[in-house]
Amino acid sequence: MFKFVSGFYCSIVNMERGHSSGVKTPPTRGVVQKSKNKTYQQSYRSCLRASSRFALTPALTARRLNTSRRAPRLHNITEKVRPEHLDILMKTEWKLAYVTPLYQFRHTQLQSYSRQLSEFIAAEKQQGLAVEVEGLQSSFRVSFSVVPGMTEADDDAETVLIQIHSKPMFARQDKPQKPVWSGWLTCINGNPDYLQSLPQDFICLPLFGSSGSEVLTRLVQSWFQQTFDCCFGCLEISETCLHWLAALWTNCHSESSIQRLKLIWTIPVKPVLQVTYTVNPQDAWDLWSDIRKEPGEENEGEDGRSVDIEEVTRFIQGLKNHFYKHFKLDLSAGPLQQVSTALGSAKYSGRIKISSSRYMITTLTLLTEGALLKMPI
Amino acid sequence: MAATLNLSGLTDSDPGLNDQSASSRSSNRSLRIAERDRRKNEAEDPFALALKYFSDVEAGTPVIGNDQFENNLVLVETVAYSKGLPPEGISIMLEFAMSLRMGNSPCVRVLKCLIPATVVPQEAVVRAVVWLCVGKIPISSQVLFIKWVLTVFDLIDAKDQLRAIYGFIFNFVTEENLCPFICHLLYLLTRKESVQIFRVRKLLELQSKLGRQPFLLYLLSLYRVFCPELVTLSIPSRMRSGFRNHNSPWKSALIAVQKKNGSQVSPTISLPFMTNSRKRKHRHLEIPKLCSVVNKPAQTEPSFSRKVVPFMQLNSFTELLENLHRIELPAQMGSLLASSMALHYLDCVQDESALLRLNFWLGYTLHEEFLFNSDGGASQDLDEAQQFLNKLLFTQDFLQEGFSATEAFLYKFLRVWDGSLLRPQILSLLSNIPVVPSLKIGRLLFEPLMQLFFTSSVFFKCGLIECLNNMLSKWLSWHTVYALEDDLDISLNSHTSINMTLSEFKDSVMELVHFVGRLASVGLQLESYHSLLLSFILDFYETVCDTFVKYELPLIVMPPAGVFYPALFATEPVSVDRLAYIMYRYKVNLTSAKLDIKQKMKASHISRQTFYEFNHYKAIMVNCLWNSKMSEPDMGLQLKEELLCKSNIPEYWKSFDLINHPAFMSCAIDFHRKCWPRKRNVDLNSIKLSRPWTWYLQYLYSQGYNGLKQFVSSM
Repeated sequence: MFKFVSGFYCSIVNMERGHSSGVKTPPTRGVVQKSKNKTYQQSYRSCLRASSRFALTPALTARRLNTSRRAPRLHNITEKVRPEHLDILMKTEWKLAYVTPLYQFRHTQLQSYSRQLSEFIAAEKQQGLAVEVEGLQSSFRVSFSVVPGMTEADDDAETVLIQIHSKPMFARQDKPQKPVWSGWLTCINGNPDYLQSLPQDFICLPLFGSSGSEVLTRLVQSWFQQTFDCCFGCLEISETCLHWLAALWTNCHSESSIQRLKLIWTIPVKPVLQVTYTVNPQDAWDLWSDIRKEPGEENEGEDGRSVDIEEVTRFIQGLKNHFYKHFKLDLSAGPLQQVSTALGSAKYSGRIKISSSRYMITTLTLLTEGALLKMPI
Repeated sequence: MAATLNLSGLTDSDPGLNDQSASSRSSNRSLRIAERDRRKNEAEDPFALALKYFSDVEAGTPVIGNDQFENNLVLVETVAYSKGLPPEGISIMLEFAMSLRMGNSPCVRVLKCLIPATVVPQEAVVRAVVWLCVGKIPISSQVLFIKWVLTVFDLIDAKDQLRAIYGFIFNFVTEENLCPFICHLLYLLTRKESVQIFRVRKLLELQSKLGRQPFLLYLLSLYRVFCPELVTLSIPSRMRSGFRNHNSPWKSALIAVQKKNGSQVSPTISLPFMTNSRKRKHRHLEIPKLCSVVNKPAQTEPSFSRKVVPFMQLNSFTELLENLHRIELPAQMGSLLASSMALHYLDCVQDESALLRLNFWLGYTLHEEFLFNSDGGASQDLDEAQQFLNKLLFTQDFLQEGFSATEAFLYKFLRVWDGSLLRPQILSLLSNIPVVPSLKIGRLLFEPLMQLFFTSSVFFKCGLIECLNNMLSKWLSWHTVYALEDDLDISLNSHTSINMTLSEFKDSVMELVHFVGRLASVGLQLESYHSLLLSFILDFYETVCDTFVKYELPLIVMPPAGVFYPALFATEPVSVDRLAYIMYRYKVNLTSAKLDIKQKMKASHISRQTFYEFNHYKAIMVNCLWNSKMSEPDMGLQLKEELLCKSNIPEYWKSFDLINHPAFMSCAIDFHRKCWPRKRNVDLNSIKLSRPWTWYLQYLYSQGYNGLKQFVSSM
């Protein structure tokens, strides 16, 4: 049987075919062992020592995306998370980034962070003018808040929501400030081995989503960099991730209609050919349930059978084959750019919109995994 | 009397600043008497008389038509411009000028000639500031005075009292014309204690009035360094660095005087600002700016608050040493890579989190630049990437350690590397990686390196062998250092970053040596025994053959036949000579290993196979080079007798002795000519006779073939 495992070594080595073993995450030693008699030599050195601390050091163990995941359950997220928060999260399309662990970030200090960030933005906006800390004149109002309930596993740090309000330059005095930018930092079902291997001073919120002006995004990022000694990098949604999303969303069709399954490929010919492939939801569902039925061993768990990467691959292959039959064009020739259904849309460039709160956790879990894979250590 | 008082130090005559003037006056009496005596001797000195005139002159004395004044001032000016004024001269003249005893016009003239010969007494400056506070001096003279202070700032003998009157000086910022200069002076005087919220507010208020002025901004930015919780700002990159270098009238005269006096030219007062104006294309290759932490972790016991010094406030190595125990790390650890002083500190940082922060940043930077950058950014701006890697290399060399982020990055990068992009840097980084466990070494290192090796040019092959040689010697040195510390403890982990037992370490080293052996054997064949490649390979074996004696590692690995024979039959004498040297070192190592085993009654850790291989190689070498015997049983190199006869080479068994060996043939001919200059026919066999043979060997040694010499003498 053809086995297909996504390689997430780096963006350059995208896929590794034919690895049928070694896809499981190797056993780890878990928590950091802190010895008392540290000498200076225990330092910047060595992945090897680090390998006991950072069991998932990619170099040594080659982290990969999980090859099977639980089928998305109907999450009762509405009970856990406040509706206004869900509204904010679902309203817009988010540009994703990965963030290295934050040093000395405290969920208890959010108020002071709000103040500092607004001053920072004010100072940067009017370069060359100093701004008094604690001053009140700032034209930007920043608010940090915790989104209670937006966690899954015990090791996940609480999601943090950041909103920036501002008044247009020439607005009247009495006009209220309008939200101009929002963003969040989250970690849903983060790899527990990785999270536990970090020292206490670090908070890992690897997934960062932002919507609003690029300039503000950059300012917020540079404030985070300077304050928590972390780094932000682009997070693309890899082709495998897009496959996963297509399959997982289709898998939900019986519970909530996906209305359509739209996939966009670009085929590298001159001029570049863009193929938009829209599948009737029922057809997609039929194909998916066929694939789901096939395997002999039925190990029905309490949550329903988990979805395997093989099934995902076959699903996408099935769609491609169908296309080939009609148009004699093999879609494997080009990269998949975008997947969208009524439940959400995702683009390779790292933009995602989650339209249904029910499947938010599943989607964010997948993205958190992707973000953790990009961690340099 | 006033003159004497002034001369013995201005503090005495300064009732405003010094309360104990009465007591010091009495205690200084004897001093003053001595001073008076001295001055009597100097009574004839016109310069001293001139100074005396200025210290004694009555207030209100007219200037115009005053010849005595004119003459004295000219005298002082001449001395000032030629030799500079002595400290007491500075005191007197400054006092004279600032007190406006004879009005404003002499004040300006005197200020302009205040060129110190050595130092400027602090008291004089403080007293002048007091006169400034009186407020009678015209604004232009005030500006001139502050400019003078800025010029001679580094020559003021102490600054503590000036710092004590920081508040008084600060008051002048509201004076519009003085403000830029006062800001500069404050910048030079500011300490953490002087940064107060009301001062910050005052400066901000000024800023709202004057707009964005660099002098305000630089002072505020210094305030930010000390108290980031009070003020925040960002300096635009286009803003000029530092305060404007005031084109003061003194600078050139000062430099001339100091040069004449042979003292050091005072360093120009500049700011530690490094605003890089160039916009970088690759944001992530930038080393972050040094900034202090804003959110300090809450102190559990405020009463026992350990006084910490932010790293940014340290200016010299001495300060670093003094505060080593209480330095606060910068907000971004990556910023430590920017200065060499910071590297010294980094060497003693023990905080695990801090190093992790550094590694996160470094790893991120390397990944983003070389791995995630899909638009081929690295090739666009190679210079910058090269500089960055050089900086990293310099840092690692300095610390004598590699960063784990670099290591993790390299393992990934090797899989996508084309073998030419930034080759010197990447290979040097690679040679810095710490010991890799033998189980993983194949997948992490050997697989990608093998691909690169066999698909690249001979120069890459040489580079890689050199890199692996460096890697090996670093591993071995690491072993020497820590194995010694552990005093024969088989486990190496107690002092080092690597948890590894001796046998694991040996396995890794063995893997590496065998790997290079394989690369070398095939590489030599592929490159048709390229002599440059052979030379690099022999370099490697020079490290390998000495593992026991030089590095005290109980492991000896012999080179494979694919390396031994090409070196033995090489066409250049250097290679054969080096092979002989390597064999000699092997012998030394093996002998001492054997001795070690006997002495310590330990089980042999060198396998019998190694001894066998060595003896075998030695026999072949001796047979070939000395005994003119080619085919020995189990030589490892078997050629059929008929085949050799077919080659029509007469006495083919002699072809590789020291005379007929292609590498030494020219030596032999040379020797022959020198030995028998009359002989027309060159008969190399005549060297074989016992006497000429010894001479021949001597001749070879004299040509610098020491390897051969050592080899022969040890056999």
